[in-house]
Amino acid sequence: MKTVFINISRCIGCRHCEIACITEHSAKKDLSSVLNDEPRPLPRIKVGLGINFLTFPNRCRHCDPAPCMQTCPTGAIFRDVNEGSVLVKEDKCISCGMCAMVCPFSAIIFHNTREANNQISYKCDDCIDRRKEEMIPACVDACKTDALLFGEINEIISRSKQNVVMKITSDIKGIEPFGEPENIVIFKGIMEKIAGLGPLPSSN
Amino acid sequence: MRNFDLKGIKDKVDERTIDKSAKSAMALTLREGIETVWDRLEKQQPQCGFGQLGVCCNRCTMGPCRIDPFEGGLERGVCGANADLIVARNFLDDLSTGAAAHSDHGREVVETLYKTSTGQSQGYRIVDREKLNRIAVELGVDVKDRDQNDIGKDVALYLLEEFGTIKNSIKFVERAPDQTRKIWKNAGIYPRSVDREIVEAMHRIHMGVGADYANILLHGLRTSLSDGWGGSMMATEVSDILFGTPEIKESTINMGVLKEDMVNVILHGHNPILSEMVVIAARQPELLESAKKKGAKGINLAGMCCTGNELLMRKGVPVAGSFLNQELAIATGAVEVMVVDYQCIFPSIAQTADCFHTKIISTSEKSKVPGAVHMEFHPETASDTAEKIIRTAIENYPMRNPDRVMIPPKPVKMLAGFSVEAIVKALGGTAKPLIDVIAAGKIRGAVGIVGCNNPKIRQDYGHVTLAKELIKNNILVVETGCAAIASGKAGLMLPEAAEMAGDRLKEVCLSLGIPPVLHMGSCVDCSRILVLGAELGKALGVGIDQLPMAGAAPEWYSQKAVSIASYFVSSGVYTVLGVPPKIFGSKNVINLVAKDIQNVVNATFAVEPDPVEASKLIINHIEEKRKALNI
Repeated sequence: MKTVFINISRCIGCRHCEIACITEHSAKKDLSSVLNDEPRPLPRIKVGLGINFLTFPNRCRHCDPAPCMQTCPTGAIFRDVNEGSVLVKEDKCISCGMCAMVCPFSAIIFHNTREANNQISYKCDDCIDRRKEEMIPACVDACKTDALLFGEINEIISRSKQNVVMKITSDIKGIEPFGEPENIVIFKGIMEKIAGLGPLPSSN
Repeated sequence: MRNFDLKGIKDKVDERTIDKSAKSAMALTLREGIETVWDRLEKQQPQCGFGQLGVCCNRCTMGPCRIDPFEGGLERGVCGANADLIVARNFLDDLSTGAAAHSDHGREVVETLYKTSTGQSQGYRIVDREKLNRIAVELGVDVKDRDQNDIGKDVALYLLEEFGTIKNSIKFVERAPDQTRKIWKNAGIYPRSVDREIVEAMHRIHMGVGADYANILLHGLRTSLSDGWGGSMMATEVSDILFGTPEIKESTINMGVLKEDMVNVILHGHNPILSEMVVIAARQPELLESAKKKGAKGINLAGMCCTGNELLMRKGVPVAGSFLNQELAIATGAVEVMVVDYQCIFPSIAQTADCFHTKIISTSEKSKVPGAVHMEFHPETASDTAEKIIRTAIENYPMRNPDRVMIPPKPVKMLAGFSVEAIVKALGGTAKPLIDVIAAGKIRGAVGIVGCNNPKIRQDYGHVTLAKELIKNNILVVETGCAAIASGKAGLMLPEAAEMAGDRLKEVCLSLGIPPVLHMGSCVDCSRILVLGAELGKALGVGIDQLPMAGAAPEWYSQKAVSIASYFVSSGVYTVLGVPPKIFGSKNVINLVAKDIQNVVNATFAVEPDPVEASKLIINHIEEKRKALNI
């Protein structure tokens, strides 16, 4: 099963993924012409602010079984047999909103597309066009910190498993900390304190 | 954990500020959907980590580039710059912007002295002749049997030349103790002129010039010194000459200074040159009369930000608030006109004013604001412009909707006006009593709490908490800028606040009748803190770096604060920042400014957002310095 795996601690909230998503789904697939697009594409991946200035890039997880697909009364939401992606057949969507109501990730919004003049179910399409050309999704391509990884989920997990083992054994040996660079650890600590002192979400 | 969806207006207000006078207006903005800086901060989330860490370089069109802060494959920008260099270039860029802002403000004040001395200005005169003479002598300008205007002209010309001098030195720098200046010479950071350092900084951060991060940061120190001991110091000293050196005086502070039955004019920004003329115009009987004709009882001026601090220090004009109060003051519905000069004016301020009858009047050719009425200030026509501003406010008074007026009940009293001269005068004519009480341990040391507000931190919480902690530990606090406004609002600038101080500091305050937290002026007046440090150092025969002194900027946001913090550290003053500068993407830069810089200027930067923790760092530092001095 191929997926976009989110390496949460690596997300720094730059929102390159959002811009890349908009550009990929624009008429000319070109950032400089996006502003001329009508309707203007919206990002189908959204980086949100959590507690302590930590961020999370949220998008459709292409669940299986997918609650949105199960609940769609017109069969507008379907699964691509080759890639496993959950997609919307725009002309079948009746904008009832059921898919959004049952989505565990609140990853579905309603927006006009070039083909549909009404607000229809608007979600991540897993960059299905790119995938057909053996390219990885645009958001992953844009991510420079490896917060978004694309691949076979078990392969990615086994990599992070190895990281966990390295970290634990380093800790036991008391050698140089394995994990995030020291400066980033300090920075995150500072930002956690600032979150506690101000109006933005904090763990306090 | 708090539930963010269900947060009510009251919770939001309490999370945003501790300024009680601001709360009702802030609640109104939330109820009515009037956008403020806090809403914009929310909407901007999440903010880009590359930018926060300083590893985003947007200087040339090979870029923009960024470095992977997790040390992945992306180690260099297209040009080849690594994280260290990108961070250092960005830091020098910020610092230079700040130094330029202070210094360009200083230049305008000096130009006004020149025009006043040569009969080209309208409404100005040399108010502090004694200070003019003292500075003339310091600069080597002949004063014997000369007309004050001739002296003023020569002083102005001398100082204007300091901006782009070919002498390769700035005269005011000689105020620093010899030991401190020796450190600068040895480190190669002795400032040469104001403009030169800034221009050179811009040159150094161009692609293909500076590639050594340490060398770039070293120039940052030099640039900051040209601000603190140059541009900012000129702004302070020449403003004193033109408008009077501040003396201790009573005033009031917080949004309650606005008056329900008067024409309210807020003077916001940084440079006092126009607003001083507005103060004079507002007293004209004819204008008072026309205000009365419109149904107002009079004309009420209120300061804001550092223009407010300048007017408070010299004229005792009440202050409505700091940087983060600007939109809220408008939301009281009682402001006829907000006059803005420059720096820290929200670009969207006219949109806020659109929700009320308030008119924003921009006055600087450098700082035009869309939606504002522009009445350009020039020294040659300053009185006319000031009068026109007051007339506009009076005309606008009937447009006020009384049903929307909501002014908080009572302002807080405070003392201001603690220039170095006023402090020395309060001590009986010399700085010696201060040195004696420091040596005797009654006052453990002195800390300058300075800088802005930042909406990421509950407004004034950092400033006020740190000040309280320090005075409790018998440390005298001197303040400028928004920090000073915070303490004023919190009642720390009253002689009675001595009760909040430790026993020994309390005793000193009570005997002198001064508060434990002293208002030393606007942000360019951080130069007064440098002069105070220099005086103490010279009296003790040591460099500033050896004094039991520290600096803090608990809620800073602006590039000017980067310059101030840097000239504090360069001058030997350990400085604790409450908000991290954009340098955490580089381990080497952090090591340099937090550790290795000790070997260069014998002081370091620290970052500690929690004001109680920050006070511990500062107290430790002060005790170490005392130990080294054997006091």
